[in-house]
Amino acid sequence: MKDSAPRIWRMRNNLYRIRYSKCKACGASFYPARASCIRCSSRDVEVRVSLGLGTLVEYTVLYQVPARMQDNAPMVIGVVRLDEGFELYGVIVDADIKDLRKGMRVEAVLRRLRVDGSSGLITYGIKFRPVIGAAHGEGSGRG
Amino acid sequence: MIRNVFINAGSAVEIDRHFDKGFKALALEAFRRLESSYGSVEPDTLVISSMAPESMSEQIGIAGVIADHLALRRLKVFRVEMGEASGLAAILTAYSLVSSGLSKGVLVIGVEKVSEYPVSLIAKVYSMIGDSDYTGLYGISPASEAAILAKIYMDRYGYSYEDLFKWPVLMHKNAVKNPHAQLRFMLKSDSYKDSPIISEPLRLLDAYPFGDGASALYISSMPGDTAVEISGVGSSNDSCDAISREDPLFFRSVRESFDDALRMAGIGRDRVKYIEIHDSYTPYAYIVLESLGLVERGDAPRKISMESSSIDTTYVNISGGLKARGHPWGATGIYQTYEVFRSLLGEAELSDSYGAVQSMNGPGSQSYSVIMRRVR
Repeated sequence: MKDSAPRIWRMRNNLYRIRYSKCKACGASFYPARASCIRCSSRDVEVRVSLGLGTLVEYTVLYQVPARMQDNAPMVIGVVRLDEGFELYGVIVDADIKDLRKGMRVEAVLRRLRVDGSSGLITYGIKFRPVIGAAHGEGSGRG
Repeated sequence: MIRNVFINAGSAVEIDRHFDKGFKALALEAFRRLESSYGSVEPDTLVISSMAPESMSEQIGIAGVIADHLALRRLKVFRVEMGEASGLAAILTAYSLVSSGLSKGVLVIGVEKVSEYPVSLIAKVYSMIGDSDYTGLYGISPASEAAILAKIYMDRYGYSYEDLFKWPVLMHKNAVKNPHAQLRFMLKSDSYKDSPIISEPLRLLDAYPFGDGASALYISSMPGDTAVEISGVGSSNDSCDAISREDPLFFRSVRESFDDALRMAGIGRDRVKYIEIHDSYTPYAYIVLESLGLVERGDAPRKISMESSSIDTTYVNISGGLKARGHPWGATGIYQTYEVFRSLLGEAELSDSYGAVQSMNGPGSQSYSVIMRRVR
């Protein structure tokens, strides 16, 4: 058993949703959530939950995939700009590599991250997929 | 009273896949070479820099184990770990110990066993240099982050992949002349065509090679017959990931640590005639040179001289850099410092000037700088 059950349980609020910080002093939003603002250092920040809709800003196709992720190779790693105004790195799924383009709308989905053998934990977390049927740069409904 | 701090001696073991040597044998080899070039030393402190001995060698308390293997006794023993920047963090630690008077002579050994496991497992351990709860758990590796920054760089400044590939070609050319470099062979300007993609657009030839190594320095408060003085040190930090920063193409911590070291040395950056920088991936070489303020933003690929390996009048990575000398993680900062030390003592052209080392963990997540000059 490689994965710690307490660790994964403890991380549930970060694994199953996108929690970010919003600074009440300067208005900056950033991910991951932190206790102080990474722009103005104010302690007056609050944690918010993103709706999970955003735009693909940049991406790469990763072939040298770390151990325990190799079933997913090659992986698409993207920079997603969430509609709440912050950027994060995320894994992009459910898309042919040739169909990916910068500026496409993406949405958060819950997916399997890794499996710990036949008797250990299955860890889930947030990845992103293209919004089905959404126009370039503008999107609404879920597919 | 703050004491002056000198580097008296150094050594380096060839970086390679040393399947026949563990970390103890590598550290011992570095120590023997240091003493055979300088004479015996009597350290009162041992500082070991090593990034991941728990994962790669199942060893905690590595400094104590090495001290015992070298049969050194009555020592203050420390291990310093700050990811890939462990080596330079160890130099700052040794500097602090000597300048404060707590230690008189510090033996610093950087040692790392990297090539103990298959590549996917090495890549997983290396992925731990970032925030494991964020990037690590999702498989967002350092190579993929470097690839994304490369694309943003190419997009913003109008470079092609071929433009950026100058750097690996130059580093391999330099490494041919470095006896302890791992990749001592030349590349052609189109060698990338045969190199597998690790995270597009970056190929295997854009990344540092996996290799084991050990390098040692003796740092003391006594200048001795020949010595290099540590004139300035600096350190700073930033977010673990680059993308949450206001500008992912400017490594603020690199600039701050270098400026602090220059201020401490009392010099401008124009006095630095030779610098070893942290070029784990091709785009980082250019971003670091620009963040250091040695060249305008977006100009590094155009301004680096392929003939003299220099930016303006500053020589850069004569060693071959992480790219071709190699990057045995926690040992790298010691190799870099040894290379600058050796050049300041051996190259007449550099005898009246300053040398510098820049090191970082991840994309400028934590940064260290050291400035030194020959005094005897």
